[in-house]
Amino acid sequence: MSESAPYSNPWLQWQRAALDESFAALGRMTNFPTLWERAKRVRKGVSASEVVYEEDRLKLLHYRSDSKPRFKTPLVFTYALVNRPYILDLKKGRSVVANFVNHGFDTYLVDWGVPTPADRHLTLDDYINGYMANVMDYLFERTGAKSLNVLGYCMGGTMSAMFTALHPERVKNLILLAAPIDFSSNDSLLNLWTRPENFDVDKFVDTFGNCPPEFLQSTFLLLRPVGNFLEKPINFYENMHEEKFLEDFLTTESWLNDNIPVPGEVYRQFVKYLYQQNLLTQNRMPVGKHIVNLQNITCPVLNLMAGKDDLVPCSQGMPFTNLVGSKDRKTILLDGSGHIGLAIGGRAQKEVWPQACEWLAQRSD
Amino acid sequence: MSDNFEKTAEQAAAFQKIWMESMSKIMQTAFAFGNNSPPPDVLKQIRSGIFQALAQSWEEFMRSPEFLESMKQWMDTAINFRKMTNDFMAKVRNEIQAPSRDDIDTVMLTVRHMEKRLLDRVEELAVRIEKLDSRLNGHAAQPAPKVASSQAKAREPRKSARRKTKSEAA
Repeated sequence: MSESAPYSNPWLQWQRAALDESFAALGRMTNFPTLWERAKRVRKGVSASEVVYEEDRLKLLHYRSDSKPRFKTPLVFTYALVNRPYILDLKKGRSVVANFVNHGFDTYLVDWGVPTPADRHLTLDDYINGYMANVMDYLFERTGAKSLNVLGYCMGGTMSAMFTALHPERVKNLILLAAPIDFSSNDSLLNLWTRPENFDVDKFVDTFGNCPPEFLQSTFLLLRPVGNFLEKPINFYENMHEEKFLEDFLTTESWLNDNIPVPGEVYRQFVKYLYQQNLLTQNRMPVGKHIVNLQNITCPVLNLMAGKDDLVPCSQGMPFTNLVGSKDRKTILLDGSGHIGLAIGGRAQKEVWPQACEWLAQRSD
Repeated sequence: MSDNFEKTAEQAAAFQKIWMESMSKIMQTAFAFGNNSPPPDVLKQIRSGIFQALAQSWEEFMRSPEFLESMKQWMDTAINFRKMTNDFMAKVRNEIQAPSRDDIDTVMLTVRHMEKRLLDRVEELAVRIEKLDSRLNGHAAQPAPKVASSQAKAREPRKSARRKTKSEAA
């Protein structure tokens, strides 16, 4: 519009702008009635997969490929317990999983499932030394491999780091994606809000059982109130007549609002031992009857972080590479990107994932 | 009563300060642009400046002791309300002789304790069998160092009794 405005008179320019805006608004209105239907049609995971292992609510997905995998060592994705894992395979051209499958990796993804009130007593020990260990055992049986490549995203990264420290012989290469490890700084508002003087996690879990998804979602939204409550709706309104924008928006928003509860005891341990006491960096983190010592991680480590991450700022993930016992360690920082952009953003797809695939390929059989 | 009043007044003052600062930043942003750019661009630039100023102010506010205090109060209220509801529901269920959430939690905890004890015992037995096995295979003369064996035990995975593969299920 502005390119075609040849008027030097500001009054005429304003009139032209108002006219253009009216037509755009009309276009938006026509999209309104179909929005709900379109949001419901959003696919949850786009790559072809099958469930190969189940335990309680956990499902292990295996991604099918047209060609035989180039590498014998399988790759397992572990996602956080706070949202659904299909963010890693959100849409065509934006799928982290597809990057690795196309690169020739035999790729699996752990879907933890949706916990019910009966799961409120599940602990980090159950997830790390129970479910994760059993998934790895199953994959050893299935593929004949002696060790696996593990990629953990967000809280799944923290859990993967703990798993690798407790079972170093089972992990060949470890990739962490925006994984919080050092909780000492107050860069993230979450760290400040969960300090013992501000938040009584025992009282919370004892009363609520599982941590309710609505509570988590509203906390995440509050991290960027202006962005989430003002900028996002306005941006949506202004661009909803563009097909591509609408598709991206609905896909991302459907995932963002697809929250699940976190088992109460896991939530208690995560907040108390990590956010409040920062035990992981001190090598004092208890998982069941074991203590996690990050120095036990000696496999090659790749640490991926986003420069503008509100949820897991760099100060939480960066120290990891210096805390492990590995000699082969690398950090990639994507400036200007956020927590989700690091996985599905256009720049991440061009700059981060090809590098990460190449890094893993060089270290896999 | 006066303490509460003071707290509320402090929180209100902090909130007012936020808005005063935001408004002054917004005004600065609005007057920082000339009339060279076309109107919608100017508006968008002004808006983005306003949002940036607002975001900064809110970030400061959400880190302020007043906000943290009010958040804590709000959380306490929510927890107390939920606790009251839980207690009421438990009472109703007890009266009609139905199991309450507490009853189910107690059963679940008992099952979990039993499972834990069983798994610990299975792990111990596994270690003993391993030792016997190595003795039978003639490796008894070279016992593993104490530290290494305790580390090995620490790495023993905790198997779930409910493990089931897809093929087994079929």
